[in-house]
Amino acid sequence: MATPSTTVKVEGSAQPAAPAESPAPLDQNRADQLYNKCAEAPEGTIFYQRDLSSMHVAETTSQLTQLLQELVDRHLMKLMISDNEPCWKLRSRDEADKLRQLSPEERILYHHIDQEQNKGIWSKALRAKTNLTAQALSKCLKSLEAKNLVQSVMSVKFPNRKMYLLKHLQPSEEVAGGPWQSEGDFDAALIDTISRVVESYMQKETCLNLPMDWNQYPTSDRTSAIARKKRIQNYPTALSVRNAIMSMGIIKDKNIAEQDMEQLLEMMVLDGKLEKVSGTNYRTCITSREVESYNGFVDAPCGNCPVFELCGDEGEISARTCVYFGEWLQTESEPVY
Amino acid sequence: MSYKQLDSPITAKLCNLLVEAEYGDLASRVFSILARHGRQTLAGIVRASYFNGRQIKLGLVVLVQQHLVFYSSTDQRVTYYEINWHQAYALVRIGKVLTLAENRFGKKASNLLSNLITLGHARIADLKEAYFPSSAEKSAADDHSDDDDDDDDAADDNPDDSRVNGVNSSNGKISDVQLNGTRGVERRKSSSSPPEDAKPILNLDNDLEASYLNGYPPTNASTTESKVPQANGAVDPTNSANDDEPENDWVQSTEELYATIYHLMRQGWIIKVDQMQYLSAGDLDAMARKEITAEEFPNRPLTGPKDKTRLEIATVQRKRRYREQWLQVPYFESQSDKRKAAGVNEKASKRLKINGTYVSRSESAHSVNSTNGTAYPEDDLVIRLNHEKVAVAMRTEQLTRLVQHRLGFSTAQVYRTLLGILEVNLARCYEEWPDPVPPPQDGIDVQVEPHFLVTARDVAEKIDPAIDLLDGLDPKAIVKHVGNSKVVEDTRLDPPINPFQISRDEKTKIVDVHMQLLQSDPFRFVIWYSRAGYSQWRVDFEKIAKATIELEIENTITARKGPLGVKLIRALKKKGKLDERQACNTMMMSAHDIRGTINDMVVQGFVQTQEIPRVDRREAKLSIHLIWYDLQRAREKLLYDTYKGMVRIMQRLAFEKEQVASLLQKAERTDVVGNEAKYLTKRELDALRKWKDVENKLLLQLYRQDELVATLGDFLGPLVTI
Repeated sequence: MATPSTTVKVEGSAQPAAPAESPAPLDQNRADQLYNKCAEAPEGTIFYQRDLSSMHVAETTSQLTQLLQELVDRHLMKLMISDNEPCWKLRSRDEADKLRQLSPEERILYHHIDQEQNKGIWSKALRAKTNLTAQALSKCLKSLEAKNLVQSVMSVKFPNRKMYLLKHLQPSEEVAGGPWQSEGDFDAALIDTISRVVESYMQKETCLNLPMDWNQYPTSDRTSAIARKKRIQNYPTALSVRNAIMSMGIIKDKNIAEQDMEQLLEMMVLDGKLEKVSGTNYRTCITSREVESYNGFVDAPCGNCPVFELCGDEGEISARTCVYFGEWLQTESEPVY
Repeated sequence: MSYKQLDSPITAKLCNLLVEAEYGDLASRVFSILARHGRQTLAGIVRASYFNGRQIKLGLVVLVQQHLVFYSSTDQRVTYYEINWHQAYALVRIGKVLTLAENRFGKKASNLLSNLITLGHARIADLKEAYFPSSAEKSAADDHSDDDDDDDDAADDNPDDSRVNGVNSSNGKISDVQLNGTRGVERRKSSSSPPEDAKPILNLDNDLEASYLNGYPPTNASTTESKVPQANGAVDPTNSANDDEPENDWVQSTEELYATIYHLMRQGWIIKVDQMQYLSAGDLDAMARKEITAEEFPNRPLTGPKDKTRLEIATVQRKRRYREQWLQVPYFESQSDKRKAAGVNEKASKRLKINGTYVSRSESAHSVNSTNGTAYPEDDLVIRLNHEKVAVAMRTEQLTRLVQHRLGFSTAQVYRTLLGILEVNLARCYEEWPDPVPPPQDGIDVQVEPHFLVTARDVAEKIDPAIDLLDGLDPKAIVKHVGNSKVVEDTRLDPPINPFQISRDEKTKIVDVHMQLLQSDPFRFVIWYSRAGYSQWRVDFEKIAKATIELEIENTITARKGPLGVKLIRALKKKGKLDERQACNTMMMSAHDIRGTINDMVVQGFVQTQEIPRVDRREAKLSIHLIWYDLQRAREKLLYDTYKGMVRIMQRLAFEKEQVASLLQKAERTDVVGNEAKYLTKRELDALRKWKDVENKLLLQLYRQDELVATLGDFLGPLVTI
């Protein structure tokens, strides 16, 4: 599906207004026949005229065109153009039913939205194309949404734009952002999970856990006899991490490109979980922060004091009356009256 | 104005408290007047205070002796006084100075420095007199030491009696001030040969001040400690002067005294006192400028930018030259005698070059009144502690700690050894007066002077042999260089290697492996320079200093706002100015999650905001709102907050002391000291213990905040940001 659809353009000029009613019953049968035959093919197949004629439903080319026109009118088929050649794609009967029940305005909107495929179209652009009033537009869009035909997503690029696209489509990266984003915002849970996986992977790759007795030389020094992590000179790149993560199969139905992984790794560098060694190589930080100690300032009460800026040499808030000092030193502060 | 002269009310307050704690009420009141009113004449100070001229003079005597004020008499008729807040701030560091010196040069040297600090500055002959007094003055000295400790608070309003640590406040002759330090040492005499009744007082000192961290305030503690015989384990092997002496903390002979002073001068820890050191940064600059103008542009006015640049360059050069002169070690006759006699100190003399050339001989007249030992021409030399060098030593310790935290103990020891080798050659952490045009930035081909380079072999030879160099390394890297062992199961050495019996070459190679670790760290602790001595390394202190400042800021933010705040700072540092959406993208978080943090950080002053209007009307809605982070601003903010934190700690300490004042008075009584269990009730003993805990806790934080101040302020000059 992916490859042809990139080259296929939805035929834009067709389908202006309401479909023509009731062709001959024979034709209708034949049309159904053609539809059924096409439905046997895998979903999403695109049919060219030669494929359809080889189905031997229509007797002549003109009859085939007639049948196709009918199917298109009934919204069972979608006319498209690929390489200057017309081609057709099947719609499900349910979908076609829904489409048939649309009002003309809605149908036009649907058409425009459909044209943009997974890129989506901004509501303002829709209005410009259709010349509808704002109220009519929003009413139609609402009803389309209610009928489960289109969906709206927030654009990542322009956070205040509502983009519309067909319900069954995945919004493109341009609209929805990379694999790390969902619904226009970063998917914190996903990022968290993956970064944890990456972290442990990096640790495995760039660190070596030495056992206590790595050098069994009797030594009196206790500190050297503790199992601990050592660095090994093998620093993965964004690409190798990406491949490793993808091969673990944790991420389903999302493709992570090298750039996406790089974005994640850079973010983890900011987080202090990784260190960037060179242009593309990363490694884990081995720093222990077992003790809750930062520096002399913030470890004393003043460093974290909410009224630090208000504190003076004397007055109600001062070192003498400070409750935080009192708590910290377990002494009594001067009471304030 | 020099960066070191940056002043703010909070630093003035802090310095004032320090001066008060150290030199008593009178000195601190005069200091505070100068701090509040700025540059003043004596008459000006009198006008601004309730004191009379005589009292003010007494205060000034102490301040001048301790270098706590600058004074300038460029105008012949009148002398201006100005505070030297950097020196005043350094008071908080005295305990640390002594510890650092002790680790490097042994107890005797630290003891000597302690005396020197107490005196502010001293003539060598006077120091000698203090250590080895002539018997005539002895009894007077004992009396002096007696009343000195008793008059705790009563002295406040009586300047004649005030407890100024023995600096000669009683004679009040201002002419005596500059070069005379004898009176101050008199108390030391009592400790070197204590009379019976002086003993309990000294014990009291010892007991109380043992609770001070590293002897802060150190003036008394160090002398009393000196009586306690202690194993002299920590003597630096480089200290040739002390090595062969019996284990004793007190300088034993005049020869030893000279040798210690000489050694410390060569190491840059002691410098000559010069009249120019009393000039404030502005006066010094004016003086250099005047000199240059007179020499270079004798008969014409300065014209055009070219002349101006020339003047600027020449001025800073001149100032640097003044400063280098202070560092020069004069020719020590005593040392040349000693060398001739014993043939020692040859090794040390190699280092002499860096401190400049020999000065042929001290110009001053011979001192003839010496009562013991031989008189040497250098006796008239006036010396003092070099605080710039202290900062260098503090930096070494801090970096070692940092490496230990990041890369482990052994690597840290390698790094400390390397820094120790460099330390001798570093007079200061950063150049306060650089040339206006900065030297070309680091390229690939940097020329570094050889004394700023260290080879792996140097380190291998110098490092303490008791350190297990193999610890902290990848076993695979070890077997490449050492022995015939193999790595089994990826982790185990088979057969095990004795880390203390590896050959010199192997050791060098192992040191090199440690160096690689140091180099690959994001801090870039060392930079490879050449292959000399297996591998030769240099250290880019400036970049490391900047990185450590960043680290401290990040630490502060972590403690306050957790990892999210740090992430924001790092994102801003990496990307520059960002609007909200870009910040979200960089941090991969939703705007909702970071908004609160951004707000808090803006309030705390770590993050700046900027609004750029897109339309003429400057509507908030149509403007771009950017946030950004400037290291220098954050650094200054944190630095001044830390000063403020220190002030609060000192104020709290005073408050806590007030609470137990009566108890302390009782505990300090001479009959109680030593017999606490006998005279004090259980409740009193508990309260005393609690007070000591409180004091310890507060002083520890004060000490640690000073470390932070050093990192933020003393290792790197102001950062220029665009």
